Amino acid sequence: MSSAPSIVSLQNVGLRYGTGREVLRDVNLELQAGSFQFLTGPSGAGKTSLLRLLFLTKQPTRGLISMFGRDMATLPHRELPKIRRKIGVVFQDFRLLDHLTTFENIALPLRVAGQKSKDYRDNVLELLNWVGLADYADAFPPVLSGGEKQRVAIARAVITQPDLLLADEPTGNVDPAMAQRLLRLFAELNKFGTTIVIATHDTNLIARSKGPVLVLDDGRLEFG
Amino acid sequence: MASIGKHKQHKRASGLMPRSQMPLRTLMIAMTVMCYLACLSIGALVLINRAVNDWSSDIAGEVTVQVRPTDGVKMSEKLAVISAILDLTPGVSSYKILDKEAGAKLLEPWLGNADILDQLPVPRLVAVTIDKKAEPDFIKLESELKAKVKGASLDTHRRWQAELTRMGSSLVNLGVAVLVLITLSAIALVIFASRAALDANRQVVEVLHFVGASDPFIARQVQWQFLRAGLQSGLLGMFAGMATFIVLGISSGGPASSGLADASYGLLVGTPDVTSVTYLLFLLVPIVATLLCLVAARLAILRILSNVV
Repeated sequence: MSSAPSIVSLQNVGLRYGTGREVLRDVNLELQAGSFQFLTGPSGAGKTSLLRLLFLTKQPTRGLISMFGRDMATLPHRELPKIRRKIGVVFQDFRLLDHLTTFENIALPLRVAGQKSKDYRDNVLELLNWVGLADYADAFPPVLSGGEKQRVAIARAVITQPDLLLADEPTGNVDPAMAQRLLRLFAELNKFGTTIVIATHDTNLIARSKGPVLVLDDGRLEFG
Repeated sequence: MASIGKHKQHKRASGLMPRSQMPLRTLMIAMTVMCYLACLSIGALVLINRAVNDWSSDIAGEVTVQVRPTDGVKMSEKLAVISAILDLTPGVSSYKILDKEAGAKLLEPWLGNADILDQLPVPRLVAVTIDKKAEPDFIKLESELKAKVKGASLDTHRRWQAELTRMGSSLVNLGVAVLVLITLSAIALVIFASRAALDANRQVVEVLHFVGASDPFIARQVQWQFLRAGLQSGLLGMFAGMATFIVLGISSGGPASSGLADASYGLLVGTPDVTSVTYLLFLLVPIVATLLCLVAARLAILRILSNVV
């Protein structure tokens, strides 16, 4: 393990929905700043649940989660946005806003952060070009294909160069060439210091990247 | 990058909350009705207040001397003494001795116009107009009248005045209570609508949270739409309220008629000072409705969002 500081720490974390069985059990995880991890496991193993804990939409039913040096259990509600702005998220179902254009969807984190359109316009257009959607800047998500939506979702997640990027099946809807291109984008971001966690079933992608792998099996986390 | 230029540079940024998904139509209809009722209440309050003031003023500016026929002294002599007393009493502006026919006419609604009135000892009345700025000493005047004229008494109408004031106060309190209830109902409506707006835009709110939007930022995206709804409802309600009073005034046939219709006509086309004050009061309705929508929606949204992880 490197000596880089830990930006995410999970200790004996458990999660259950309602009164059902625990979907995550005794999860212990330390993510060093600047690390690149894959998260894999069979369907229903708890990958999405673990990501939900990491992008702060769920609270664990037991255990401790610390992010960026802050204990999430005692973090005041009003400080959540500050933490979330350090995290970029790519959802499996994209979560694009259908009434905003592609450009506006990608620029959303910057707009929320209070930046002016003239300050971020060139960056957004450059990123649009990079993900191969330069001609779709003014298009609305309903007219985009699944792969195009996924690239917009990725562009939105990386536009702020977040400290932590969490991606749930980010290459699930694109062809191998585009998957490779997106992986390079993640690698570039990682070089600039972004910690990356990619949840995927794509064993080829994992093999090509040769990054460390976290394996979730029946709610328990193992290091592959 | 040739394609970059294709992006519409000057395009205005879209609203983050789609207006089409805001359940504001129902709120606007209900708020318009509330604002209309508020205008009617305010108009009614103004009318009642003015009518009570007018009546009180008329009563306060006049007293009545009543003299009963008694054996031994002619009525004309009694009236002459009363006239002499009133002439010398400071604070009396003028007086008018009602003749026997005028007195009989006052009793006509109860006794009819039969000849029986000639045989009854009908009291004679003297209507005295007083100087409201320097009222006479009523106690002294009454004792002087009683001492010098047998069967004479003074009615200052104080009891009527007190009754009118009490009735006026009750009606004003009732009007204020109605306004308070309308305001509370409007607040409840806005809170329900805020919850519905967040429910209808749950996905947008989730995404905004994911990209680091604070609760006040999200509230700002919604509150301006509520502000607009409040302003539009307030103006519609106000114009409907004004139209009602104008129609009421026109249908009354103008200032020649009397009663509520006359007063409502006077409310809108009466003396300029009264009209302008009334219009200012009406203008309060859209202002209050707008502020109420803005503040209630913001507080409700912040409260709801504070319970969302």
